[in-house]
Formats: sequence, structure tokens, C-alpha cells
Amino acid sequence: MLRFVLFRLLQSLVALAILSVVVFVLARATGDPLHMILPMSATAEDYDNARKYLGLDRPYVEQYLSFVGRALVGDFGTSLRARRPVLDLLRDRLPGSLKLATFAMGVSLALAFPLGIMAAVKKGTTLDRTAQVVSVLGQSLPTFWVAIVLVEVVAGRLQWLPAGGNEGFTSYILPGFTLGWFVVAGLMRLLRSGMLEVLDSEYVKLARLKGVTERRVVWVHALRNALVPVVTFAGIYFAILVTTAIVVETVFAWPGLGRLAYDGITSRDFPVIQAVVLTTAAIVAVVNLCVDCLYALIDPRIRYAR
Amino acid sequence: MSIVALPELTVSAERLHRRRRWPVVSVGIIVAFVLAALLAPVLSPADPYEQSLRLRYRPPVWEARGSWASPLGTDRLGRDLLSRILYGARVSLAAGVVTVLVASAIGAAIGLAAGYYGGRVDAALMRVTDATLSFPVILLALILAVTVGPSFGNVVIAIAVILWARYARVIRGQVLTLMQLDFIAQARIAGASGWRIITRHLLPNTLNTLVVLVTLQVGYVIIVEASLSFLGAGIPPPTPAWGGMIAEGRDVVTSAWWVSLFPGLAILLVVLAFNLLGDWLRDTLDPRLRQL
Amino acid sequence: MNARRLAVLSLLSALVIGVAGLPASAHAQAKSELTIALSSFSAETVDPVLQGHNVKYYLSLMFDYLVGTTPDGQPSAAGGLATRWENSADHKRWTFHLRKGVKFHTGDEMTSEDVKFSLQRAMSKRSTTGYAGPLRALIQDIETPAPDRVVIVTRDPTLIIPTYLSRSLSTEGIVVPKKYIEANGDDVFARKPVGTGPYRFVEQVVGSHIKMAAVDNHWRLGTPKYKTVTFKLVPEETTRIALLRRGEADVADVSRERVKELTSEGFPVHFRKDEAILHAWWVLGPDGLVPPMKDKRVREALNIAIDRNEIAQSIFAGGADPAAIPMGLTWAYRDIGFKQPPEMTYVYDPARAKKLLAEAGVGSGFSLDVYAYQLPGLPEGKAFAEAIAGYWEKLGIKTKLIPVDYPAFRKVWVDRKAPGVVGYYNIANRDWIGAYAILDKMAYGPSKPNDTVADPEIDAMLGQIMRQTDREKIGALMRNVYTRLRSEHFGMPVVYLHAAYATSKTLGKWTPGTVMYDLFLDNLAAGK
Repeated sequence: MLRFVLFRLLQSLVALAILSVVVFVLARATGDPLHMILPMSATAEDYDNARKYLGLDRPYVEQYLSFVGRALVGDFGTSLRARRPVLDLLRDRLPGSLKLATFAMGVSLALAFPLGIMAAVKKGTTLDRTAQVVSVLGQSLPTFWVAIVLVEVVAGRLQWLPAGGNEGFTSYILPGFTLGWFVVAGLMRLLRSGMLEVLDSEYVKLARLKGVTERRVVWVHALRNALVPVVTFAGIYFAILVTTAIVVETVFAWPGLGRLAYDGITSRDFPVIQAVVLTTAAIVAVVNLCVDCLYALIDPRIRYAR
Repeated sequence: MSIVALPELTVSAERLHRRRRWPVVSVGIIVAFVLAALLAPVLSPADPYEQSLRLRYRPPVWEARGSWASPLGTDRLGRDLLSRILYGARVSLAAGVVTVLVASAIGAAIGLAAGYYGGRVDAALMRVTDATLSFPVILLALILAVTVGPSFGNVVIAIAVILWARYARVIRGQVLTLMQLDFIAQARIAGASGWRIITRHLLPNTLNTLVVLVTLQVGYVIIVEASLSFLGAGIPPPTPAWGGMIAEGRDVVTSAWWVSLFPGLAILLVVLAFNLLGDWLRDTLDPRLRQL
Repeated sequence: MNARRLAVLSLLSALVIGVAGLPASAHAQAKSELTIALSSFSAETVDPVLQGHNVKYYLSLMFDYLVGTTPDGQPSAAGGLATRWENSADHKRWTFHLRKGVKFHTGDEMTSEDVKFSLQRAMSKRSTTGYAGPLRALIQDIETPAPDRVVIVTRDPTLIIPTYLSRSLSTEGIVVPKKYIEANGDDVFARKPVGTGPYRFVEQVVGSHIKMAAVDNHWRLGTPKYKTVTFKLVPEETTRIALLRRGEADVADVSRERVKELTSEGFPVHFRKDEAILHAWWVLGPDGLVPPMKDKRVREALNIAIDRNEIAQSIFAGGADPAAIPMGLTWAYRDIGFKQPPEMTYVYDPARAKKLLAEAGVGSGFSLDVYAYQLPGLPEGKAFAEAIAGYWEKLGIKTKLIPVDYPAFRKVWVDRKAPGVVGYYNIANRDWIGAYAILDKMAYGPSKPNDTVADPEIDAMLGQIMRQTDREKIGALMRNVYTRLRSEHFGMPVVYLHAAYATSKTLGKWTPGTVMYDLFLDNLAAGK
């Protein structure tokens, strides 16, 4: 088991190393941050001076090595735009992102379970199709539109819930629902197909013949079988939620990583772009690693298949 | 031509029964929109680019100030909304289909290569796949948009450059399973080249999966494009694209609701149809494919 | 089976704990809190020398300027740290007498040393303030003969010193604590700024909010009514309005399009009339304007092909008025005694525009690229670009919209790699010195990279203004500059934008004033 973990860890590190080069190059391709920092009237001398001051005059290889070297000890440099350590910015944003993603995941599971179970048990009926449509709906509307309509109606008109910012528990409901609904379809599919697999299987048919109650078949045998993939994919969806919340964060003025990345890109803030991309990638890697371990723990057969 | 029937892909009698029941509604919606896109020049009441500020924010025909000149109303520059939605069908559907085709072609190629050759090739390709999968699509598209400017081509590239990795993962997994089976070994013994095995034996057996994935992801790409439009990195104006149209109308959701509602409905219908069709295809062709 | 169940249970319980562990403090807004929701914070740095060319809504509550300003932009001895100032007969020595007993938020007394330090800091290499350039060129020495007296010695005679160091222009006149910065360094100051203003800094979460708390017995505002003021960054319009409706925000900037809706619901909407001029121009090549825009007739044709009234009424929903003078900043007009003559108005006349183009030999059209981008305070940016492109399209000009973000356009502009393309900016309105500074940036050249007008005659007039010490003559020169900018059609002034700010129904009276990048939130916060 330990060997497996170490091996996966090494693989993740290689992927992160590749990504660090890519993001370093991509960030620099976006243009010159000085156009955002210096006033319109800045002279060529002002540009040179600022470049030196911000360390942007050094050769790219040197800049890359210093970026990687410092990142390894947790220092992502100083934001060109906000002029403060990127680590401070991450510290302000990361918890907000993780909490929102956790809440959204909760919403998603809370919706996916009843829908998925209903769809599987009532397979082929109108109820099944309704459940499928309801869950797929969340994936079929642009998130920003759902978010804006919710803000306008629930916060602005009905005034039931806060419209934006992170001011306590009630602030989580609207963005959490918007984000959570988006991944319901995926989780619901997993549950439904996982349960159907069992419900169609020979041994359940045998169990039914033996007089095991339908309730027990559904809630014990089928659900248990469906839970494993749901648990593993919940982890991966969690990572997706953290990294794709950018639109939801914008509408709900939620201080999270996505918005930080957006601001970083529009202002050509290289250190911020690098830090956010690598942080989210690290989160994805860690989640995947946990999922793999969990999976290997549950089902040793697939240990080396992935 | 030898598509070998594998145990798990054998179509049971029950599934055959289900296969006959086509999802009429989904297919109908998709066909209708494809037709609308093809016939846009005939169906449109006006030029989708023709602006007239005097006529801006005219409501749909059934409202008090509406007129038959623009049955679904006009947008912020007085352009006919119906015409823009019809022409938008071309743009949005093309964006979805082209992106997914490009991504699936790259992804399938890499997945097949990684699965077939294994070893170092596999390890290298899979690490690149991992790195790609951990790069958020929207961020890459934003970077491309500010670097070379947003355009149809760049949106397609930005999404495809990330999306291929999912195909690579799934196809590689399938290939690994197929490689355990006798018929590949037999083909090898018979002296088939690597290329021949990949194209004649492996690829045909992954096609079902590819079809399911492609169908499910057309909708996803249309939605991602819409999100990019909201962030200013989607297909740029004045080109009519549904996502951009909703984004343009988002500040007037109450006063000029039609500007965002109608393109929103178009997206909803199309994406829903693709998703339901994809679900049906998966149930029918490849029920083991879950991870989407 | 056990391991599996355990794993499932542990993951589920982790999720439950995660959800339960969320902060559960109920949202309660006390009356002593003032919340201002803004669509953009600009640079978001709280160190005045790091963002001088940007907004100062939040800075002017935390800091004081050497010279105060009335809400209508006139220098005021009552609103700044200097209670009076005088100049030598040759206009090269400016003496400022400082207010006594003013304390920084650290408790240290503010003295002439702090003023000298602040000014040197604003002119230093690290500074990126918008107007430090002319000060660097002009200021020779700063003397501190007494703790309450500062003398600024200039190389040339000048009139600009008091206004340049006042609240009406940029942030160079902000006084910061020498002792604190020298002891803690610039980086700490940039995170935890200290000033002498009526509010002290509490916290900043970049991309989210800036919070400050009232100081007791401040010389300028006394003890403010609101104990805390929070600036919230809320990019999405719908969200800002929802915050206002729910009472989560007391002030919010709103788009012109939604003013009617809010007014009908009873929310007071304050307009900053003429907050900015929306000005478009053609990017210069290395040698100035390129054909066909080199031809005055083409420039006029492009101008009169735009229906400014229609743009003001439709795209800006009536929250704008047609403009006619390139870079014509109306808040400066009163200072220089200028009034726009009615005949300068651009009359929409596509037929004549076509004729002018034919006369210039480009009747068959030409291709023109229009860059389309949003700017802070200009959410209508892209719609506007589409609209003007549409007007030109009707003249037979092949216009192409190039969607970018502003930094990308700025690069095209200053690099002069794509001469002739059209860009635009919402130039903030300001008093005569600010207006001069803008002309100096955008019309005086041709060596300046950001020049937009290459005209020797205008260069000659602008060159004289800097060293002129007679206000009358300065006024005359400025009037002539504006007249020539208009008669030569150097650029496309489109509309004056009125910025709308909605407030909650219970908030008191508030005059947002006419000072660049400043909302004069002081009186609102003080509850006066």
C-alpha cells in the first residue's frame, strides 16, 4: 500500500512539474503587466525601472528557476498588482473556495441520492425520466444565468437570502445551490447505473425469489454497490467544483480562488496566475490520490489497473 | 473487418428491446435546431447583424409594444433576436461539435497509443494527461483570450486542448482491458502491425464509448462557451452565439427579459437533448461507462 | 465489507463536518455600519503611491491631503493639512503652513518632516502615481524650516503646486507617516497603511473588501456617525442591486440602464453629472495620423456619421449628453472661462459624411479596425464599440471589431504597431490642472508614446502653459487648444457620461461632488 501511495505521489509530482513549465510560459504570453501598473504617461525609463524593480528583467530561465525554487518552500512571490505576497492572497481565498465547494458537494449529494434511487427503482417510468431531466437541467443552463436569476429573484425581489459576499451560513445557500446543481447529473448517473447493475443481477433475482423484501434489496444491496463509485467520483467532482467556481464567485462576489485567477489573468499578474493554477492542480492531485487510496483499500483488484 | 464481440459489449435481449425505443424528443430537438441552423438565411426575418438603436429592446410580438417585424423582440442594439438565435444555432452548434470532434480525435489517438504501447510511452502520455486534466478549462481559455484575443477558433482550441485528456483517459482504460483479450494476441501472432491492430481491432471496439462521450460533451462545450462569454472570453460580438447573447442580456433580466431568456431556452433545449441522447446511447451501447 | 463501509462512512462524515463547520454567524447590519458596493476597485492597493493613477474612493477616508478641496473641486484651506499657503514673487518658492495637533492613527504627531517624506516618496522610483512626472521635473528642493512649515522650491516658476498636492488631482498630496514607514518598511505599509484621515484601516481582502473604522474627534469630520465603513467589490450589477434592496449595501454604483427601475422603487439615485467624457481616437503611427485619417475631411466624416443623441439616449439610457470637443473636460471650463459655442455641436449627417469621404477620395470606403473593450465605469464599452462600428458600416466603411481587454489595447496604442485603429477611453472629468495634465499626456508630443494628437500648433500652445504663471494667459491658451482640437477634429468626442450611484432609502443627503476619482463620501460617513 505504501509503495502504491508513493508511486502515485511521484506521478502527481511529475504532472505538477510539467504544469509549472506550461503555466510559466502561458502566463508570460498574456502580455506586459506594466501596462496595468504604470500610468499612461510613463516613459521608457519608467518601464525599465519598474521591470528591474519587479524582477521582470531577468532571463526567463532564471525567473523560472527562482519561481520553482521558491514555490517548493511555499513562497509564490509577490503579486504585481496587489503588491503583497501571493501567499497572503491564497490564504485569504483558499478557505472560502474549499468551504463553498464542500457545501456545493453536500447540496449535490442531497439532490443526487433521492433522484438516483428513484430513477433506478422506477426504471423506465415517467418518474425515471423526470429524475433524469431534473438532474440534467443543472448541466444544461449556463451557471452564470442561473446565478443571476437566483440573485435577482431570491435575493433582490423576495429578499430571502443574501445576494453576495460571505456573511455567514445563509450566504452559502445560493452559490452552493448554483454550483451543486451543476454536478448533480454526474452523480445521479453513477448512482442510477450502479444500482441498476445490482437490481438486474442474478443474485438479486435469487434474493427476491428467496423472499428478501424489496426494501432490503434496494436500500442494502443496490445502494451499497452504487456507493463506491459515488464516493470516489464525489472526490473528483469536489476538485472540479473548486476549480470551476469562477463564474459563481463573480456573480456572488464570493472571495475565492477562481476570481483571484480571473483578476490575475486580466492584470497579467504572473505570480498570481502561476500560484492559482498550481494550487488548484495540487488540490486535484491530492483528491485523486485520496480517491485512489480509498479505492485500492476497498477493492484491491484495481490497485494497478488505473 | 473484424469487430470482435466482447462479453461485456454483448447486447442482451433486454437492451435490444430498449434500443428500439429511440429518444424521439431529444433527437427531434437536435434535428430541429440543425435544420434551423442550416436554413437560417431562409427562416430569419432580418439580417442578424443589422442594428438600429431606435428599435432597441423591442419586446416580443405578443407584448404591448411588440411587432411582427421582430417576433421575439430585439436586443440592446436593436437587432432582431429571432434571426440572431437562428444564426446563433450555427455558431453554437458548430462550436460544440467541432470542439468535441477535435478533442476526441486527439484524445482517442493518445489513449490508443498509450494503451497499446504501454511502458514508458504510456507513463509519459499519462503524466501529460494528468497535467492537462488539472488545468481548469476556463482559466486556459481566459489566458488565450487575453493573449491572442477571443475568437471562434481560439474558443475551440482552448476547450479542445483540455478536453482531449478525458478521452485519452477513458480510451486508454478500455484499451488496457482489450489488450488482455485473446484476439489481440492472435492478431499479433498472425503478424499484424501495431498500426493495423490499433486501427482494425482496438479503435472499432472503443467506438461505442467515443460516440457516447462525444454526444454527452457537445452540450458541455456549449455551456463552457457560454461561461466564457460571461467572462468576456467567448465567441466575440457581433457574431451571434447563444452564450454571448445571454451574457449581453444579463443586466436587463427584469426589464428586457427576452434578450437573455430566448437564447437561454435555445441552449437549454439543445444541451438537454444532447445530454439525454447521450444518456440513452450509454444505456444502450455501453452501460459500463459511468465516469462522465 | 467492513473496510468499504468504514471508508464510505468516513468520507460522508467528513462532508457533514465540513458543512457543519461553516461559519454560522447571522447577518446583522447595525446602523453604525456603512457599506459601499462598487463594481471595480481599480488597482486595489492601499498605498497611495502605488495606485495614484486610479480611484481614491477609499483612500480619502483613510488619508488627508496637504491641500484640501471643496466638493466642487476648489482648493480649500479648511479641508487639508495646510491651513494656508503662499508663494514668492517669482513663483518658485511655495510655503505651506501646517495644521497643528494632527495625529496619525499610530498616535504620532504629523509634522513637516512627514510632508517632505511623503512628497519624496511620491516622486521616488517606486512610485507609480499618475502625476509624479511633472513634479519630478519641477521640484528642486523641499525645506522644513519648522515642524509646522514646509517650503517647496521649484526649478521654474509655476502655479501648479497647490493643486497638484490637493485632493482634486491624484494622490501625490497624501501625507503618510515617515516614522512608521521607516520603521516597518514599504511592504508592511502597503498591507497595513496608516494615515491621518477620519477612518483608520482595519482589513483588506484583495478582490473582496476594504474595511475601516472611525477615529474619534477627527479635525475634519469630528466623530463620524458610522463607526465602520466597508467597501465591497461586487462586479455583477444584478448582485449590487440585490444587495441594495436587501439593505446589505447602502451605496452602490449602478448602470445608467437601471436608474429608472430603481427610482420607481424609491431608491434615491445620485448622478455625478459629466463624470467622464467618452472619447475615441485613432492610434497614431510613428509619424502621427495615417491615411486616410490624415485627411481632415475623413476625420469630420467619421465624427458626423455618429448619432450622438441616439447613443446617449439608447446605449446610455439617457444618462449621457452629446460631446463635441476632443478631451473637453467640462469641470475645467469654469476655471479657464470657456463655454462651448453652440456651433461646435456635431450634427448627425450621414449624407454629408458620405460626401466628405468622396471628396477625400475614399468614397468607396476603406477598412477600419475598432477595438472593443470594457473599462471600469464603462460597462457599455462593447455595445458602444459595436454601435459606432455600425454607423461607419452604413457609410460603406468596412469596420472590424477587435475584442480585447484594455491592457491589450493600451499596448497597441503606446507601441503604435497598428496605426489608424480606433480606441476609446472614459477620461475622468477634472479641474483645469488635471485637464492640462490630460492634454499633456494625450495631445502633447510627438515623442510621448501615449500621444493621440500630432499637431505642432497644439504642441506649441501646451508647451507654454506649464511655465506660465498668469492664470488669465493660461486660460486663453487652454481655450485656444480646445478650439483647435475641435476645428481639426482631432479625435471623436462622443458623450459626457453621468455616473449613477443609488443609495438606500434611509441614507441621508449626499453630494458626490465634482472631484476626479473621489466620491466625497466624507459628509455621508460623518452623517452631517
